[in-house]
Amino acid sequence: MFDQGAEAHRRQDQPRLSVVAGADPATPEALLHRTALGEDDAFAALYDLVSGRVYGLCLRIVRDPAQAEEVAQEVLVEVWRTATRFDERRGSATAWITTIAHRRAVDRVRSAQAAGERERRAAAESAEPEYDQVAEAAAGRLEHRQVRRCLKTLTELQRQAVTLAYYGGHTYRQVASLLDAAVPTVKSRIRDGLIKLRDCLEVSR
Amino acid sequence: MTTDEHTLIGAWALDAVDAGERELVERHLDSCASCAQEAAELREAVARLADVTIAEPPPRLRDSVLAEVRRTRQEAPVAAPGEAPESARDRRRRAPRSRSGTHRAHRLRLALGAAALAVVAAFAGVFATWSVMQQPGGEGDGSPIAAVLEAPDAEVAYKEADGGGRVTVISSDSLDDAVVVVSDLAAVGDDRSYQVWMVDEAGQVSAGVMDPGDSSATMLVEGLGDTQVIGVTNEPAGGSAAPTLPMVADVALDA
Ligand SMILES: [Zn+2]
Repeated sequence: MFDQGAEAHRRQDQPRLSVVAGADPATPEALLHRTALGEDDAFAALYDLVSGRVYGLCLRIVRDPAQAEEVAQEVLVEVWRTATRFDERRGSATAWITTIAHRRAVDRVRSAQAAGERERRAAAESAEPEYDQVAEAAAGRLEHRQVRRCLKTLTELQRQAVTLAYYGGHTYRQVASLLDAAVPTVKSRIRDGLIKLRDCLEVSR
Repeated sequence: MTTDEHTLIGAWALDAVDAGERELVERHLDSCASCAQEAAELREAVARLADVTIAEPPPRLRDSVLAEVRRTRQEAPVAAPGEAPESARDRRRRAPRSRSGTHRAHRLRLALGAAALAVVAAFAGVFATWSVMQQPGGEGDGSPIAAVLEAPDAEVAYKEADGGGRVTVISSDSLDDAVVVVSDLAAVGDDRSYQVWMVDEAGQVSAGVMDPGDSSATMLVEGLGDTQVIGVTNEPAGGSAAPTLPMVADVALDA
């Protein structure tokens, strides 16, 4: 059962495109480079590769499916628009795209907070969660135990600070207030935690 | 650079800084190779945190994005070394400064609680459980159910039941609790009850009996211990001391 879910998920997330000898034209980097050259079909393939990642992250942070969809659209159009600026030497395409998605989602949440927006909650209440989306998310969870395992290597405070900041979209000051901890402590635990996470993910890659 | 900018790199990598601090850090990264290296590595690690949130978008999003892309001009490439990505700068300009405050933090937590419940409703795939969960009396923020759903180590497992319906288990090792969502099992008369069991190597123990005739329910299971499987059986109304086999569904938990 989970296997079926994970399988279905994998198919959607990572379509196996034809592989030519030499460079794999289906890597996110290759597709992003072709996107930068204005190739629509490369962008469509890139969409198929990363849209679940982009949408899922937006959904996790923004929470309201309708708004998550809006933000995901902004992110994916920004990927198209700024693909020309992607520099492989500075990081992977997946990280580059994920970073754009996270920032956009966080910006949305914070501007909604700043405006004291009520509409968001109303929308969240009226939106019927769609089972399939959540099932996919569940499959993703099952498939990506490595991240969970590595998160477990952090101390409790490191882990709480990192996850509240990343998935909750909170600033480190907000995290400090949520955890009732000192601001400088939270700031340094976040950094220590991320260094540990980086080392763990690299070792087990 | 000041100590401040160095210690902010972690928070920056998580977008957990305000607009002014973001600017400060990024300006520093442009001129400090070692910090830029660390920032890039942390960003790669941070991006992996999104591995666990992947969710399939509605199919209409694809058409909508591809249509917008067709009428969107791409930016000119920038080759200047060390320059921060333009997109980051755009966003920085747009990003409002946030102020912390207990009022907002409180609202946030409430919203989180409501969202958590929405997740349960979604897992259930039936909205019958929704009404149960919305009853007044604190199934909202801070409830044990919300705590399981929000736990960073929450794992989700589910199984289609024989005869239809589904059993979903969201479990947290650190809390030692699980939320079991039983949805839309085969209809039973008022003389039968579905019963939930925790199974480990030593055997099984009843985790709860559903009301006679009910085919959907959401429950909190406390004290998971070494439970390997959450099982559901069809029993005489009120439940049995030992499960009647075969199980209607058995959900294996992540070891
Ligand atoms: Zn430096």
